[in-house]
Amino acid sequence: MKFLVYRYNPETDAAPYMQPFELHAVRPGMMLRDALLELKAAQDEGLTFRHSCGEGVCGSDGLNVNGRNVLACVTPLAELREPVTVRPLPKLPVIRDLVVDLSQFYHHYRAVKPYLIAHDPEPEVERLQTPEQRAELDGLYECILCACCSTACPSFWWNPEQFRGPAALLQAWRFLADSRDHATSERLEELDGPYRLFRCHTIMNCVEVCPKGLNPTRAIGRIKALMLRHQV
Amino acid sequence: MSHQISGLRAWMLQRLSALYLAGYTLWATVFFLLNPIPDHAAWHALWTQPAMAIGATLLFVALLVHAWVGMRDVILDYVRWPLLRLALLALLWTWLLVLAVWLVRVLIGVM
Repeated sequence: MKFLVYRYNPETDAAPYMQPFELHAVRPGMMLRDALLELKAAQDEGLTFRHSCGEGVCGSDGLNVNGRNVLACVTPLAELREPVTVRPLPKLPVIRDLVVDLSQFYHHYRAVKPYLIAHDPEPEVERLQTPEQRAELDGLYECILCACCSTACPSFWWNPEQFRGPAALLQAWRFLADSRDHATSERLEELDGPYRLFRCHTIMNCVEVCPKGLNPTRAIGRIKALMLRHQV
Repeated sequence: MSHQISGLRAWMLQRLSALYLAGYTLWATVFFLLNPIPDHAAWHALWTQPAMAIGATLLFVALLVHAWVGMRDVILDYVRWPLLRLALLALLWTWLLVLAVWLVRVLIGVM
């Protein structure tokens, strides 16, 4: 199976280039991560990429494969067209080969305060929710922060410093929707203005690529609706 | 441009103006198909009716608002250099202001 892999070592390379690889021992059920590990072990030890759990839980190996952001560990080789073009996640600074600098992505994540803010005194046992209130968080808490969605979003490419991006906004809604959170006004105020939330034009690339099947566009729509209800 | 107007309100104004523009276009198409205007005098008389005048004025206000949010979004999305962005936003405001003044003159002349 033929591969074209993005290579760039800023210490030695003047410019990035695509390196061809060929993998002969393709096993049934093999994932892209397995293939990259074999290429690294057998053909080029210098090939650099992030990976960890190998089962789509940690979100470390987000890559752009044949033009689409995927998690390498849950992408079967059998589904990929040859040559398999493997690039780092788009529009982020490359540290080396397939490893990108996610600082900006995490900056936006931190900015939405992805934690519970409760003003009432801490209860003796725990802050309780009804099953219905808990169900509101389904489809939100599952995000693994792999950055596939934000780096597939044209609005994030255009205004990476200001637009929070789908991943951070999904988390913003995860805490706005939480019955135990008391910081609704502060959260909404932080998101108002032309850039942070309202650069989303419902392009829906985020929904298309999310490896966990989540829907950041719907979450963003709900934030806008809540903001509207809060204003009137 | 305040923080308040530029976020939620701009987004809301864009949607409300879109609804009005779509509704008016639909209504006008049906109205003029059912009531063909025979001559200029009838045309002029039509627009001097208060309801028609207010409806048309709102149409152009909605158009200006819709154009402002839409063009602003295009500039914010595609123009990377802050100074050029600012210059284009200023140009947009000026142009919309010119159109608004022209609109007032036309409407005063007609009504």
